[in-house]
Amino acid sequence: MLGFIGRKVAYLGFVYLLASVAIFAAMKLIPEDPLVARYGKHVPLEKIEAERERLGLDRSLGGQFWEFHIRFWSGDWENSLRTGRPAAEDLRKYLPATIELSGLAMLFGGGAGIAVAMYSRVRGNEFSKKAAMSLGGMGLIVPIFWIGIVMLVIFGVWLEWFPMGGRFGMLEAPPKAVTGLYLVDCLLSGSWGKLAEALYYLLLPSCCLAVYPMAGVTAMLYARLKEPEVDALYVSLRSKGYGSLRIVFGHLLRVASAPVVTVLGTTFGGLLGGAFLTETVFSWPGIGRYMVSSIIERDLFVAQYLLLMLILLIFCVAFFSDVVAKALDPRGKEGGDER
Amino acid sequence: MLSRLASLGIGVVFATGLFSGCGEKTSAEPSDEVFIFARGSDAQKLDPADVEDGESVNTLAQICEGLVRFKSGTSEIEPCLAEAYTISEDGLRYRFKLRPGVEFHDGTPLNADTALFSFLRQMNEEHPGHLEEASFSYWRYLYQDIEKVEKVSDMEIEFRLREPNASLIYSLAVFPAYLISPKALDTYGDAFQRNPVGTGPYRFVEWRPDEAILMERNDLYWGEKPTMKRLVMTVVPDNTVRLLQLKKGAIHGMDGLQPAEIPALENDETVTVYQDVGLNVGYLVYNLDVERLARKEVREAIALAIDRDSLAKVGLSGGGRAANYPLPVGFLGYPENEDAIPYDPERARELVARNADAFEEPIRLNVMIDPRPYFPDPVSVASFIQGELEKVGIEVDVVSSDFKAHLDDLRNGEIELGLIGWIGDNGDTDNFLSVFFASWAAEKGTATNYSFYRNDEMDGLLRAGRRETDMAKRGEIYERALELWRRDLPILPLVHGDNIVALNSGYEGFELQRIADLRLGWIRPR
Repeated sequence: MLGFIGRKVAYLGFVYLLASVAIFAAMKLIPEDPLVARYGKHVPLEKIEAERERLGLDRSLGGQFWEFHIRFWSGDWENSLRTGRPAAEDLRKYLPATIELSGLAMLFGGGAGIAVAMYSRVRGNEFSKKAAMSLGGMGLIVPIFWIGIVMLVIFGVWLEWFPMGGRFGMLEAPPKAVTGLYLVDCLLSGSWGKLAEALYYLLLPSCCLAVYPMAGVTAMLYARLKEPEVDALYVSLRSKGYGSLRIVFGHLLRVASAPVVTVLGTTFGGLLGGAFLTETVFSWPGIGRYMVSSIIERDLFVAQYLLLMLILLIFCVAFFSDVVAKALDPRGKEGGDER
Repeated sequence: MLSRLASLGIGVVFATGLFSGCGEKTSAEPSDEVFIFARGSDAQKLDPADVEDGESVNTLAQICEGLVRFKSGTSEIEPCLAEAYTISEDGLRYRFKLRPGVEFHDGTPLNADTALFSFLRQMNEEHPGHLEEASFSYWRYLYQDIEKVEKVSDMEIEFRLREPNASLIYSLAVFPAYLISPKALDTYGDAFQRNPVGTGPYRFVEWRPDEAILMERNDLYWGEKPTMKRLVMTVVPDNTVRLLQLKKGAIHGMDGLQPAEIPALENDETVTVYQDVGLNVGYLVYNLDVERLARKEVREAIALAIDRDSLAKVGLSGGGRAANYPLPVGFLGYPENEDAIPYDPERARELVARNADAFEEPIRLNVMIDPRPYFPDPVSVASFIQGELEKVGIEVDVVSSDFKAHLDDLRNGEIELGLIGWIGDNGDTDNFLSVFFASWAAEKGTATNYSFYRNDEMDGLLRAGRRETDMAKRGEIYERALELWRRDLPILPLVHGDNIVALNSGYEGFELQRIADLRLGWIRPR
C-alpha cells in the first residue's frame, strides 16, 4: 500500500509540473495582452507599461514562472485584474459553492446509479435492463443544460416546488461563513431554518448535475454485475435462498463499492465541467462560471492560479478515490487469486 | 421489499417539496417591497472612475449622480447635483452652482470640497483616491481637455479647459463624472471600489459576487422620492431562464432579452417590452493597409452588394435597424438625406468585374463569436454578408474568434475585413466620428480607428468640431465630416442594435434612456 501511495504521489508531482508549465505557457500564448484588455481602449501605453512593471509582468519568463509557483503555494494569489478582489478570497467564496453542488451530485448520482443497477440485476426483467441502459446512455448523450432547463420548467415553473435558481434567498442573510459550505455552516450554527432554505436552493441543481455521475455509475456497475465471477456469486447466493435485500446489502455492494468509488473519483473532473453548465442554468455562484469568465476576460492571475488549483484538485480526488478503492477491494485484502 | 424502498425514495422527494414553503415567496403581485432586475453577468467594480462594463455602470446609475444629467428619454442636458451652470464666452470655463441641502448616503454634505474629490482623484496622480491599480481610462479620454478644477466658493466649482471642447457638458452627465463621497475612502480603504457611496435614489447595501447587489431606498433623496423599498440587481446568466423568471414573477425586470423572443411577448400581459434605437453602430471595417482594400472601388463594390435592411431583419431578428451613417439618427450633424449607400448589386457586379484582380483570392472576414448589443449573433451577420458578397462574385472566408482576441486583431491591423461596432459614451457626435476616423486613434495596438484611415482634412474637421460651441455651426462641421466619410468610405455602417428592456407589466415609471443608462430609481407598482 505504501509503495502504491508513493508511486501515486510521485505521479502527482509530475502532473503538477506538467500542468503548471502548460498553464503558464497557455496564458502567455493567448493573443491579447491581459493588461491591455483590463485597461481598455483609452489608457496610454505608458500607464500600461508602468502597471506591467508593478505587477512584475515585465520580468523574464523564468522569473515569472518561479514567482507563479511561490505565490501559488504561499496562497498570495494577487488581485483579480477585473474586479480588484484578491483571487484567493474569491476562491474561498466560489469553490465551496461548487464543492457543495458537486458533492451532493456525486452522492445523489452514485446512490441512484447503484440503486438502478442493483435493481435491474436482482429483478433481471426486460424493463429494468432497459432502464439501466438508457439511464447510462442518457447522461452521456443529453446535454446537461437541457436537462437543467427541463427540470427548472417542471419543478420551478409548473409545480413551483423549487426556486428558479440562485444559492440562497436574495433578501435573507446566508449562514455565517465558516467553511463556506452552506449546509455545513447551517449545521455548525444550528440554524435549521437556514438549512432548509439552503437545501431548497441546492436540491434541483444538484439533481441536475447528478445525471452525469449517475450515468457513469449505472453503466459501469451494470457491466460489473454481469461479469461471470460476480454472476456466479449471485447465482450461488440465490441458490442458498437469500432474499434480494440480503444479497444486495450483504454481498453485492461490497463487490461493487471499489469500482463505484473509482468511477466517482474519475468523473469528478467532468463534474466540474458539468458544473459550469449547471451553474449557468441555475444562476449558481460557483467556480465553474467564475473560471470560464476569468479566462474569457483574460483575468490572468485568477485564471492561472485557479486552473492549476483545479487540476490538482481533480487529480487529488482521483488519487484519493484510487486509494479508497484499493482499500475497499475485497480481492486486494484477501490476497486474492488475481494478483 | 424493494418497492418499499422505492416508496421511501418517493416520500423523500415529496418531503423536499415541503421546503418550498420556506424561503421568500416570489409573488407575481406587484408591491413596493422589492424590485429585482436581472442581467447576464455581474458588475465588475463599483467605482464610477474605474469601470467600463454595462453591468457596473447600470448599477452605479441607481446609486450615484453627476453635476448634470440627460433629461429623461432625451439627449438634452439638465441640472442635477448642480442646480445651474454657465459656460464662458470663449468656451474655456464651466462654472457649476451646487444644489444646497444634498447629502451623500454616509451623511457627508455636498459642497465644493466634497464635489471636487471625484474629479481631483482622477486627474491628480498624487491624490490618495488615485488608486494605483485603477485605470481612470475615461478621464484620459472624455475629459482630457480639463486643465484644472477648482473651488470658487463653498457651493461653486469651476472647470478650466486647455482648449474649448464642446462635448464636455455631455461628458459631465455620464458615469465617470458621478460624484462619490470622499469619506468612503477612509471608511472602506482597500474595499473602496466595492462600496459606492453616492447621492442617488438608492443606497448600496451589500454585494454578493455573481449573485446579487442589494440596495435600499434613500429616504433623504433630494429629488422626487423613489418608491420601491429595496432594489436588487441580480445575475441570471442564461437568457431562457431569465425570461422564464420574468414571466413567473421571480424577477421584475431584465435586460439581454433575445430579439427573437419579442414577437411572442407581444400578447403576454405579464411582460412589457421597451425598445428604442440604441447608442451604438455595428459596422464593417476595411483595413486600408491591405493593398486591395486601399482601392476605393473595391470598398465601394462590397458596400453596394450588402442589403442592410435585410441584414437588420435577419441578423438582429427585429432587435435593431439598418444604419445609413456611422452614428445613430438624431445626432448633431446627421444629414437630412437618408440613405448614403443604396443597395445596388448590379453596380457592385460591374465594379467587381472591373477589379477582377483584387478578388482572385478570397477575402478574409474576421468576426467575434460573442454577442454584442449591435450584433446579437455576429457569426450569422458574417454568414449573411458572405452570402451577399458571393452573389456579386466575391469569395469570402469567415474567420471567427472570441471577442478579446478579435479586438486584438483589429487593434493591430491583422485583418482584411472585420465586423465590429461601437457603443457611444456621452451622446456626442465627436464620440463616434473621432473614434472611427481620427488619425490620432490609428495607432497600432490601441487603435479604435481600425481601418487605419488617415486624412488631414478629416482631422481638421474633427478638431474644429471640438472647438466650436455654437451648435448650428458644429452641426455643419460634422455634416462635412460625414461627406468626407462617404467619399473615402473607410468603414461601412451596417446596423444599430436596439436598446431593449423588459419589465413586469405590474410596474410603471420606467423610461428608456437615449444614452442607454438604466434608470430604475422611479419605478413603482401600478
